[in-house]
Parts: sequence; structure tokens; C-alpha cells
Amino acid sequence: MAMNQLFFRKTIIAGTGLFLCIFLVVHLSANCILLLPEETARGLYNSYSTTLRESPLIKIVAYLLYLSIVLHVVYALLITIRNRKAKPQKYVVNHSKENSSWTSQNMGLIGTMILLFIVVHLANFWARIKLGMGDVVGLDAAGNVDVYEVTSSLFHNIYYVIFYTALAIPLALHLHHGFKSAFKTLGFYHKKGLRMVAKIALVYAIIMGVGFGIIPFIVYLK
Amino acid sequence: MKLDAKIPEGRLEDKWRNYQVKSQLINPANKKKLSVIVVGSGLAGAGAASTLAELGYDIKCFCYQDSARRAHSVAAQGGINAAKNYQHDGDSVWRMFYDTLKGGDFRSREANTYRLAELSAPLIDHYVQQGVPFAREYGGTLVNRSFGGVQVQRTFYARGQTGQQLLMAAYSQLYKMVRAKKVEMFPRSEMLDLVVIDGKAKGIIVRDLVTGELKRYAADAVVLATGGYSRVFRLSTLAIGCNGSALWKAHKKGAFFGAPSFTQIHPTALPQSSEAQSKLTLMSESLRNDGRIWVPYQKEDTRRANDIPEAERDYYLERRYPSFGNLAPRDIASRAAKERIDAGFGVGRLKNAVYLDFKHAIERFGLETIKDRYGNLFKMYRKITGIDAYKEPMQISPAAHFSMGGLWVDYELMTTIPGLYAVGECNFSDHGANRLGANSLLQASVDGYFILPNTINNYLANEMKADHPTTDHPEFVKAAQEVKAIIDRVLAVNGTKTVDHFHRELGKVMWQECAMSRNKAGLVKAIAQIQGIRDAFWSDVKVTGDSSELNTELEKALRLADFIELGMLMCTDALERDESCGAHFREEFQTEEGEAVRVDEAYSYVSAWEYTNGDFKLHKEALEFEFVQPSVRSYK
Amino acid sequence: MQVTFKIWRQEGPNDKGAIRAYEVDGLTEDMSFLEALDHLNELLVLKNEKVIAFEYDCREGICGQCGVFINGRAHGPLDNMTTCQLHMRSFKDGDTIVIEPWRAASFPVIKDLIVDRSAFDRIIEQGAFISAKTGTAPEANAIPIPKEVSDRAMDAAACIGCGACVATCKNSSAALFTSAKINHLNGLPQGRAEEHKRVAEMTFQMEIEGFGSCTFTGACEVECPEGISVINIAEMNARVTKAKFFG
Repeated sequence: MAMNQLFFRKTIIAGTGLFLCIFLVVHLSANCILLLPEETARGLYNSYSTTLRESPLIKIVAYLLYLSIVLHVVYALLITIRNRKAKPQKYVVNHSKENSSWTSQNMGLIGTMILLFIVVHLANFWARIKLGMGDVVGLDAAGNVDVYEVTSSLFHNIYYVIFYTALAIPLALHLHHGFKSAFKTLGFYHKKGLRMVAKIALVYAIIMGVGFGIIPFIVYLK
Repeated sequence: MKLDAKIPEGRLEDKWRNYQVKSQLINPANKKKLSVIVVGSGLAGAGAASTLAELGYDIKCFCYQDSARRAHSVAAQGGINAAKNYQHDGDSVWRMFYDTLKGGDFRSREANTYRLAELSAPLIDHYVQQGVPFAREYGGTLVNRSFGGVQVQRTFYARGQTGQQLLMAAYSQLYKMVRAKKVEMFPRSEMLDLVVIDGKAKGIIVRDLVTGELKRYAADAVVLATGGYSRVFRLSTLAIGCNGSALWKAHKKGAFFGAPSFTQIHPTALPQSSEAQSKLTLMSESLRNDGRIWVPYQKEDTRRANDIPEAERDYYLERRYPSFGNLAPRDIASRAAKERIDAGFGVGRLKNAVYLDFKHAIERFGLETIKDRYGNLFKMYRKITGIDAYKEPMQISPAAHFSMGGLWVDYELMTTIPGLYAVGECNFSDHGANRLGANSLLQASVDGYFILPNTINNYLANEMKADHPTTDHPEFVKAAQEVKAIIDRVLAVNGTKTVDHFHRELGKVMWQECAMSRNKAGLVKAIAQIQGIRDAFWSDVKVTGDSSELNTELEKALRLADFIELGMLMCTDALERDESCGAHFREEFQTEEGEAVRVDEAYSYVSAWEYTNGDFKLHKEALEFEFVQPSVRSYK
Repeated sequence: MQVTFKIWRQEGPNDKGAIRAYEVDGLTEDMSFLEALDHLNELLVLKNEKVIAFEYDCREGICGQCGVFINGRAHGPLDNMTTCQLHMRSFKDGDTIVIEPWRAASFPVIKDLIVDRSAFDRIIEQGAFISAKTGTAPEANAIPIPKEVSDRAMDAAACIGCGACVATCKNSSAALFTSAKINHLNGLPQGRAEEHKRVAEMTFQMEIEGFGSCTFTGACEVECPEGISVINIAEMNARVTKAKFFG
């Protein structure tokens, strides 16, 4: 029997999606350090990021992360192309809002927005800190790379704050639909369990959306 | 021509076994060389096609729908009977046989009816094996419910979708054999003529409904499984596409038509609401298990049903037939409803309905139980009428439903044309003058799965040596030319009225004069009226589009042309039978209380009509009752 | 009542097709939607025009043959019903009603509003059966099947094969149709013997027919006349995985 591509691709998307969901929890917890008073936050944040950079285990996780993003995007693209081919002619009138959520109908569009965000986000941080592009990043009092400064200066630019906050909305929508669908794609079909998953997905999406959306603002106001 | 039913020797219980023992067999290597055409893909057609294919024959199966799964067996809601006696309530093959024979008012053959009852039990086994999700008890055993005309619980069901579930099993099995390359399936194909060579059925002419192309198919035998013809009334519970054309063409080629006027009017359909209506939706008879039928005692009562107090409700079935009550057989329940409606007690906007009330059942069993039993029927009722039947009674009305009549067949299900078989609703065999509820799925299935595959070999064994004609045989050419001529003729009329106009006219005449009650004067008038409709049709019908494309209007016109002729035969048959029996109620033959009067001395026969150049000649197959004494059919 | 129908007309599979408008008077609220189209067709015949080709058979919501996209919804504005069950009382006098055929690469248009759904038959052909021959059945009550199991199988088996799920799905996925059949048969003891083969072959056929993948918009469940739950698709996914490991 030949490989069943529809299922294989969807499984990859769901699996990597859920992995990225876990990553986001870790990411957001770290971001919460930014909410502490400036001096404490700077030290803690910088030492945390140094620890991450130097741990070999985290290195593996990081590569997994990059791989997940790439697979998630590539397979989503492949699936979207196939799905479009499956419906070559659109309806003249289509009231899909009456039978399904806008989000579920537009995951590709929302995903693309998030991808754009990730590119900007990586340019802002990863490129500067790891690749050394742009202004040189200094060291803090403890001798750690002053990532805090990078963050703080970025979030004192109102345009970036608005960009980061605005993009938290598609993120939340994407996570909401993606989280609960991933379970179904991976074959979880317990009726009550799925109701629970839907609730968790909602709470999770709200926390992620609000969390990522509000932190730049708070830093801006600090 | 003497009609020979070929009833085997022996006691009633032994006849089918005796037949099988003596019937000729064909070895598996030879079966491969024999081909059979099956027209229709319902329970009878799909059952026959898949089973014959499993046995090794080469099968071609045709249906007019877009898929075999649409066949109208799909619509039967209530259930399928079987003498399993799972309820331990005194059921047996004999009792089921007797109920069916009595239900049919002793107008069917004992041997056929007994075989139907006998094969019912293994049929349930078969369907369970094929994965039909019949209703079950918590302990895992099968559930039964009651049905009209019977005092035991022998009806198996799958929610309100029994027909659909059985058809899915048959359709799946059919496609299993399509995959095995033993069945070739031709959907969107309508049979327009039968090809008879040297007196034997050898093929059919088919119109490809997508391209309009006329195609010829040859085989060693032809099986018709084309269902009922109650669309002759236009308004009926049948699917819009159901038609009598295959039967009619076969009839014109020499197959006798058995008891054409025996058509059943179902008591529990939704009432007609407008002239434009195309279809009367059936509400399963199973609803009569728990629902109580009534009309107000007061004529032209304008109060809402729930406002009419208990004392002012006339539960007329319970009043007239105390021992069967709401479960009186269909013909009787329909006639009783008609009697009340005609007397001015009808309810609803057009005063053409009676109430079917679940108030007491809900009080007794609780809402949940009723929902579990009939949930989807109530949902369907709401979709169509917008009324919540849990809160107020349903309005129901009689509607044309099943045709007991059909091509005359012998014990082997062969028509009077050798090599032409008729299975399921399109034959006249087991139901006599009236069919009991939940016996239709049964007969179609038993014919297709169990009987035909055991009788067709008796004919095909001798066809091994015969020539296998090809489709360029002159008879094929001639038949195809005839079909083309009819199509061209219909298109050439180019008159001023639509096909539906003529169908409505025909329907009105048939419903008025040849439905629930009939009389001599009315039938004579009807025959003249139908002749008028036929003449008007052929001089004034308008069909747009042409024959070499998908043309639904043309399809309708061709079907109607046959219905008009069939209507004439139905009226002729009803006129000939000077008695009341089952669904055939002649007003001249009734008691003072309005019950049917059967005339056994003169009419204990099956009428089999021969087509003779536009006229009909009657042949009689006498019904001999060796094992059962026909009694007055009483449900009091 | 009077309405304007805007209907997709297409002569044949290779014709381009376009929407055409028809004003129709003399309709009543009691008329079913398909009867309104019948009425329009009669008017067209009298005007010497070709009738609009559309599909139907039983007209009571069970055969699954009817089905068109009405005002942007499969089977019309109401949830969980077939086109034939829709009545004109769901519309207002003066409404414009847009009617289009099912749209999917795997359901090519044959003519006007009629599409070819034989892809469904071919999915069924790939294993939606129990490979037992007529005449080999054991006694029906020999295998007790708990009511819950039987009821669940029935829930899935209720599918009428109308194709609304594919029509409404933005990806034209046939996952609801395929999963319903798989879960019906694999959920019953009778279907166990060939469960993995069935799953593998039916889903593979679904793929080669060109249907898209399920992204769980849930639209199919809302438009399905039988209200078959999308959870069936999740269950099928589990069965696919299981078939990969044990099949």
C-alpha cells in the first residue's frame, strides 16, 4: 500500500504544531521575566538566555524547533496547494460563516501572517544576537550578553510595539483552531475528551494571545 | 396458453426443499460462460446481482439513478419482518405465512407465501452478517416491534432507516462484486425495451441518460427488479423517477401482467397541501404502534387538536376494529380514514387528513423512549411541515404506495417469457391483494438473495448449449429502431402542454376511480378518460431539448407514455373483478357496515393479462388452497 | 410569492457555464424548493426553452440524489437537511436565490446543476463491505452486540451519500463520507476481520480520487442531512494509524 499522503502530511502539521504550542508556553514564561522591575529582570533575563545558548540539550531542542517550523510551513503549503486543486472552481455565493468559523476557513492566511511575524521577530533578535548582524550587543554587569537591552530598546519603538501586539491576534486565532484540530488529526476521538480539548484550546489561545500581546506594551510603558 | 405456476410437490413445509433437490445445477466452470442482465439495483436487483455474481455468473446491472445506492428500497422506514420468534410470543413460520396470506385476502399462492415466511429468518442472519446495525437490547440481542395486521412482534428495524440500511448492505455487496470484476454496473441507464429472440429473453435496449445514446446489451437471461408503478397516480410515496416502463415494455413483448389493479394505499402519509405537489411523504407505519388515530366527533371542527377534549375525539380504528385497533392492516386503515374524511370529519387546512397522536404514548413511556423509537421520523415531520409532533398530533392522510400487482411469475419467479425473471415489487407473487407492513423489504430481499439464485440455474442449464446471440442480431436492431421511433415521435409532437400537465390529469383520474374504492361506472368512465389523455398526450405534449443529450423532460415523457397505457390496464383489471378483496374495494361489494365482500366462488384466481395489439386478454391462474381454508378477513 | 432564481447553466462538461436569472411568479410557501424548480421548468418548456437539469429521486430526504448549493449553503439555508426537504417558506417574497452545482474537482459537472459523484461509489468499492457470501451467515443472535456499539455504528451508517460534505468543504474533502462508512463497519464485530485492509484501501482511494484533506472547519457536520459528527473523522484518523502499525 502506497503512503497515504493526506494523512501523513496532516499528521506532520498537527505533530509539529503541538510541539510548537509547547514551545510557546516556555517562550511566554520566559517573557514574563520582562514584567519584573528593571534591574531584577535584566539580570534574570540575560542569565536565562545565556543558559539556553550554552546548553547542548537546548541546542538539540532548538534545531527541532527550526525543523518543526520548516516542516509545519512546508507541509501546510503542500496541503494548501492540493486542497486548492481539489476545489478549482469557487462558489459565486458562499456563506461559509454560517457553518464554520472564519478562523477555520482561513488558517492558511493567518499562518502566513504569523510566518511574516516570525521572520521579523528572528531578524530583531536571532540575527542580532546569534549572527551578530546590526549594532553590537553589549554585556551586562554579570558578563552575560545583554539580550534584555535588545528587547527593551525594541519595545520602546512604538511601531514595533503595535506590530508585535497586533500579530498576537492571528497567533491566538491560529492556536485556537490549530490546537483543537491537531488532537482530532492525530486520532483522538473521545467525545467528552474533545469537548475538554476545545475548552483548553480556548483558554490556551487567550493566554498566549494576551500574554504575547501585552508584554511589549508593558515594557514600552516601563 | 395455460398458466403453469410450477408449484413443487409435497407438504407446504417441504415444497422449497423438494424444488431445490430436483432443480438442475450448473458446474462453476460453466457458470462463468453465462451472463445475466439485472435491471434495477434495489434490494431485489442488488441482492440478485451480487449473489449471482458470487455464484460465478457474469452480471450486468443497470439503474436509472446516479448510483445503485439511490434505489427506492432506501425509503422504507419501518422494518422487515421475520419469523424468528425472538420475542417468544407465539410466532412461527406457519403463523407468518398465515398472516401474510390473510393480509393479502387470500389472493396469493400458498406455496409462494409460505416460502416467503420460511426464508425470512435466514435473511435476518444474512443482513446481520453484512453489517446492518439493527436495533438491539442492552444485552446485545435483536429487538422487534409490532406492525399492522399482526399480533406478534416480528419486525426488525434500524431506527427509521431500515430500508436505507438494508440497501447499503446490498449496495456494498454489489460493489464488492464490481471490484471482483464479476458485476459491471451501469448507472444513469434506463431500459427502454426488452429483446426477445426465438421466444426467449436475450437482452435489453438501454438509453444512456447522460449522452442519450441507445445501447444494446445481450445476455442469457434478463432479470427485472424495477420496483413498483404507483407513480401512475402521480402523487405517491414513491421516488419521482420510479416508473413502470421496463415492466410495460416486457408486457408488450409477451410477459403477462398479474393483478395490475392491486395497488396499496398507505394510511400514514403526509396530506397533500397544493396542486404543485410532486410527492407525498410517507410516515412509517411503525408510528401506529404507539400513535393513536382520531378525528373530532364534531364535523368541521375548527379547534386546534390540543383543545379538543378526550370525550370529543373519535378513535375510529379502535372503535371499528377493537382487536387490532390502530394496527389494522393498511387497506383497512386507509379506507377507514377515507370514510371519515369523505364524511366531513377531516382535519387540517384542506380537511384531508386525520390525526396521529402520541400524547398517550409519551405519557406512558416517557418522551425519551418515544424519541429513541421514532426520533428521526418526528424530525422529518418537522422539517416538512414545521410542526413539533411531540407537542401536537401529526396530520396524516392516505397515499398511493405499493403495487402488489406486477409481472405474473411462476414459483421460479420466471415470467411468461422464458428467460425473463421479475423479482421484488415488480412481480405479482406473495402479497395477494394487500401487502402487510414490513413485508416489502422482506420479499424484495428474499427474491433477490435466496430464490432467484436457486431457480435461474434451472433455466440457464439448458441455455449452455443454446446460441449466445450478439447485439447485431436482427431482433436487437429492430428493438433499437422501435425505441428510437418512439423517442422521435415524442419529440416531434411539439404541442402546447407539459408532460407534468398530462401526468396530473392521469393521476386525478386514477386517484378518483382506481384507488381506495372503485365502482363499475367510475371505471368505465376512467378508461374513456385515459384514452382521451393518451390521445391528447400524443397530439399536444411539448418536450424541449433533444434525444442526444441529458434530457430529464424526455425521460419523464417516455415514462408517462407507458403509465398512461398501464393505467388503462389497471382500470380494466379493476372492472373485471366483481368482488372486493384487500386493496381492491369495489363499492358494489360491501356489507352494510362497509366491510369488503369477497367472492371466492368466482374470483379465487390471479388475473394475468396478455397484451394483444393494444388490447388486453385475460388469463386466469386458479388459486387452490390445499392447506388453509380462506376465511372472511376480520380484524374486529 | 415571487422570487428571482439565479441558476448555474452549463450545457455539458466542457462548456464554460454561467449564472442565468429567472423571475418566477405563482409560487406558494407550501411548495418544496424542488417543486418551485419543477414549476420553473414547466414555464421554460412552454417558452420553448431547455429545462434546467437538476437531480432528485425520493424527495423525502433519504436517497441522497438531490443536492445543490443554495444561497451560499449546501442544501440551502437550514442546517442538517436535504435540498428536497427545503420548502419555500424558508424564503421571502421577492428574494433572490442563487443556485449552483456542488463544486469539487472530484465531482465534475455533467450538466447545469448535475454533478458526477461516482467517486463515492469507487470509495465504497474499495472495501466498504463485509466479504461474506450470501448463504454463509450464522444465526443472527449468535454474536451479541451491545446497544451502545450498535447505536454508534448506526449513527455513522446513517450517511445518505449526498456529497454535501464535499460540496461545503473548502478543501473538497471526502473525509466525513469515508469515515462514516469505515466507522460503521469497523465498529461492528462483523467488520473486524478486514478492518485494517478496509481503512487502508478506502482512504487510499479517497486520495487518488483527488479529494482534499480535512482541516476540521466543521462545516460538513452542519450541512450533513444526517448530522454525522466530525468526530468520525478523528476516529478514522486513529484507525489509519492503527492500520499502519497492525495492518
